[in-house]
Amino acid sequence: MPITTTRRRLLAGSAAALALPEFARAQGAVKPRLTVISQWSAGSDGAAITALGKKFEEKGGIWQHSPVPGFTTEMMNKLRAQIIAGDPPACSQLKGPEIAAWSKIAPTVNLDTLVVSAGYEKVVAPDLAKLHRPGGKWISLPLQIYSTNMLYLSKRAMDKAKAEKIPVTWADFNELAEKMKASGIIYPIANGGTRPDDGQKFEASLAGISPAAYRAAIMNLDKKALEGPEVKAAFAQVRRIANWMDPNMGAQPYATNLKRFVDGDMGMMIMGGWAQGVLRNAGFKFDDYIIAPGPSDNGKPVFLLNADAFIFWQRSEPDLQAGQTLMAQLVMDPAIQTMYSQITGSIPVRTDVDLSGDGWSDGQRRTAAALKDAVANNQAVLSLAHNMAQENGLTAAMIDVLTEYVKNKTIKPEQAVTRLAEAVEGAR
Amino acid sequence: MTVAAAPRTGRPTKAGVVRRLPEYLTIWVPLLLSAAHLVSFSLWTIWISFTPSTLVPVAGWVGLRNYTAVIASRNWQIAFDNLLLFGSAFVLLSLVTGLMLAILLDQRVRGENLLRSIFLYPLAVSFVVTGTVWSWLLNPGIGIQKLVHDLGWTSFRFDWLIDRDMAIWTIVIAAIWQSSGFAMALFLAGLRSVDADLVRAAQIDGAGPIRMYRRVILPTLWPITITVIVIQLQFAISTFDLVRALTNGGPGLATQLPALVVYDLMFQRGLLGRGAAAAVLMLLILLAVLLPYAAWRYLQRRRATHA
Amino acid sequence: MRDRTFAPSRMLIYLVVSLVAAAWLVPLIVVVLNSLRSNEEIAQTSMIGWPQHWAFGNYLTAWSDFCVAQTCAGIRPYMLNSALVTIPATIFSTLLGAVAGYAVSLWRFRGDQWIYGIVTLGIFLPQQMRLLPWTFVLRDTGLMNTLTGLVLIHTIQGLSFTVLFCRNYYVAIPQELIRAARIDGAGFFRIFWRIILPLSPPILIVTVIWQFTHIWNEFLYGVTFTTGQQQPVTAALIALSAAVADIPHHGVQSAAVMIAALPTLLIYLIGGKYFVRGLTAGAVK
Repeated sequence: MPITTTRRRLLAGSAAALALPEFARAQGAVKPRLTVISQWSAGSDGAAITALGKKFEEKGGIWQHSPVPGFTTEMMNKLRAQIIAGDPPACSQLKGPEIAAWSKIAPTVNLDTLVVSAGYEKVVAPDLAKLHRPGGKWISLPLQIYSTNMLYLSKRAMDKAKAEKIPVTWADFNELAEKMKASGIIYPIANGGTRPDDGQKFEASLAGISPAAYRAAIMNLDKKALEGPEVKAAFAQVRRIANWMDPNMGAQPYATNLKRFVDGDMGMMIMGGWAQGVLRNAGFKFDDYIIAPGPSDNGKPVFLLNADAFIFWQRSEPDLQAGQTLMAQLVMDPAIQTMYSQITGSIPVRTDVDLSGDGWSDGQRRTAAALKDAVANNQAVLSLAHNMAQENGLTAAMIDVLTEYVKNKTIKPEQAVTRLAEAVEGAR
Repeated sequence: MTVAAAPRTGRPTKAGVVRRLPEYLTIWVPLLLSAAHLVSFSLWTIWISFTPSTLVPVAGWVGLRNYTAVIASRNWQIAFDNLLLFGSAFVLLSLVTGLMLAILLDQRVRGENLLRSIFLYPLAVSFVVTGTVWSWLLNPGIGIQKLVHDLGWTSFRFDWLIDRDMAIWTIVIAAIWQSSGFAMALFLAGLRSVDADLVRAAQIDGAGPIRMYRRVILPTLWPITITVIVIQLQFAISTFDLVRALTNGGPGLATQLPALVVYDLMFQRGLLGRGAAAAVLMLLILLAVLLPYAAWRYLQRRRATHA
Repeated sequence: MRDRTFAPSRMLIYLVVSLVAAAWLVPLIVVVLNSLRSNEEIAQTSMIGWPQHWAFGNYLTAWSDFCVAQTCAGIRPYMLNSALVTIPATIFSTLLGAVAGYAVSLWRFRGDQWIYGIVTLGIFLPQQMRLLPWTFVLRDTGLMNTLTGLVLIHTIQGLSFTVLFCRNYYVAIPQELIRAARIDGAGFFRIFWRIILPLSPPILIVTVIWQFTHIWNEFLYGVTFTTGQQQPVTAALIALSAAVADIPHHGVQSAAVMIAALPTLLIYLIGGKYFVRGLTAGAVK
């Protein structure tokens, strides 16, 4: 009876997963082929990966992409089924600490040579690079970066509130929200009510108050930091934000509020960079809103990182191996990253890409500059709400606490701090 | 109803077995495959619940740790309470709704075929989409409350969807809409099979419509009622897509249900061991409901054969 | 007979039934209206509303144009996949269930009650507990990523319901019929073919309707055990749902949902009358 996966040459927790042979350099003889699994079946993500596939085919490869509609869970189910069947795709979407977790259940490909020859390591943010080298060797490659704590301001709402200054700190933000409320905007904040939304509010608050505390508490799970004053202050800020939101949101996504946001009935939105593409696709004009980096109390930009990546699974077929080499080279190529990010509205992973050209929006330029700045000041941190800071199990346990706190106004910040610490302990 | 002494085949002879091989195969192969897959899948899940499995199944033994972790989590506690509340309310209300609809349709109304299809169509449409539509209809800012406000009655409130204490009832509403049609169909069939002679006799005795239903018709419906309860119970335990699309367990964790917790633990959080423990707990809850019924049926049969 | 007795309150009955039916139809009306509004209009006004401009093109886009990653053929190829899985699985599970139900109810053999009990208890086994074990089975039988694999899964799982429905229908058939036929020399299959099957249309239609509905609307296995080109129609519908980084395509999605629901709706409409007659004979006791 098939019991565990160990019967199928899949290794559980063994370092041997990374001791793999180098790629066959003699690619000329074999036509590269690539089997890919991702969740990007529609919208700009679907368009971007299709465009990447076309580039792959232009270089003479056979592109076999199997999109799994739904959210990441469905994609992971498919990936898991393929791995258990002994037939992992040559390349699949994966991100964050899940890369390290999944690398323990099936052998991956050692990409070090390719990374070194492309000089990729020098142009990737260090915190991000660490995620893709779980055993010290590169096994996956990040492709696009979003910031999750960007501030969107409705021009009409700003005019209504007669406000000119773009908020820089959380104090500025709170002041602006009060001003908007006083001028008749009943709900200054236009966020949505989904779980990632609630997570985003918290991480933006904590990272803005103190990126060092964020790193210690959320990324490193330091007990003292988790029970510290910054976390309590973050919860207090989240309560303020929640009180400025439409209570009728329920579990609706933020897209439900876009019209009210643009019309000026709602004033601000803390959302990731992808919202630009969504606003554009919904028919709203870029002039209707202003984009600024999320509030940061020490004046220097804080960047909450969300990055997608491709992981490469070990295959013995020469055509798939050639395909993996080609794919890796494409993913690291600045021209490809430019194409990809211009389609989805993200920014490239490479910090050396020039964004002054035509296809880029001002928002993207500002975001890229903010990333560079944040990395330099060690204020680039990993997003919790988008599964970059911790594995899915722990992230979900923490977001349970956050979403309950947002939806239940009787929970006080001190209680939330305790609950969060307990959740972390319980899920460890 | 018991099966009277069915033909016995006597001691099978070798030639007899060979001759009857096709029927043995046709009967036993599907039944055995079905039973085998049910038993082995259940045993596998029970086994996994005692292992430290996370992303994929691994061997190992962690005793009851997965169970204690699940039972200690707020997710599960809320889900358990919700299942008891939602389960009993839903089964009862969908039963009553189905019965009422069946009685209404049984009154020789015109267009019965169309009406029946109207009440049955919810099962035919994707649950994810209907869940999303209900999330709009029940949303105070988009749906019914907003409509009533726009029509003038501005103090009307129907915001259960965002109310932590009342949100579970929105799921009851959507679930009743989805599955009462099938209950209605079952009851309608039962009503149609009521003995006409009994009804006529009661009419001759001067029984009015309500008396008729209470004394003659409803008692005959008892077996069908059991059927409806079983099917609706199965629906209540396994309902998943509808809840995910309607509230996704929210607001906060207020509408968590065991089916969601199992899926969440197993596949979203990559904690197979814990998810399996939650699934086993779910089955235990089910057994707690089914065993008394099975025992009661067994006693009934014993009494019938002894009588 | 009865209607004469209740004549005075017939107006009331019609009123109540109409109101309830109208309430029942509301979600369907929302979906149909949305299927005639463009995605942009929905995003710019409200989720629920009357079309300002009639976007009949949604149906065309849904049928043959919208893209699921690199495949821009609309819902059409996925409908075919769903049909290729649903029709065989429904037919097999119904026929096998009928034979098994007939055997368990009219022919005694050792362990029949036990195996019947186990098989029908299977209706309660949750989906999540089956996903990984089926992965192992498909792997070991080499049926991973094939439509045949899905047919196998749905047939075996469907047996729990089909045996349940059929067995409880066949117990109503009098034993004398079987005994008389045996005396005449008829065997197991002969009796099934000549006596049982002609009496079965009501329960067979019921079972077909139930199976078709559930297999056609199934998503989890359809997506996990197939690759891009073989995915069922439910996968294509989900591709149109809201994602975090995308506007919701409610207009085209509503049109796609209506198209995808047509086969099951048609079966309900046509088979509706049989549905009730079939359950008359007692689907579950």
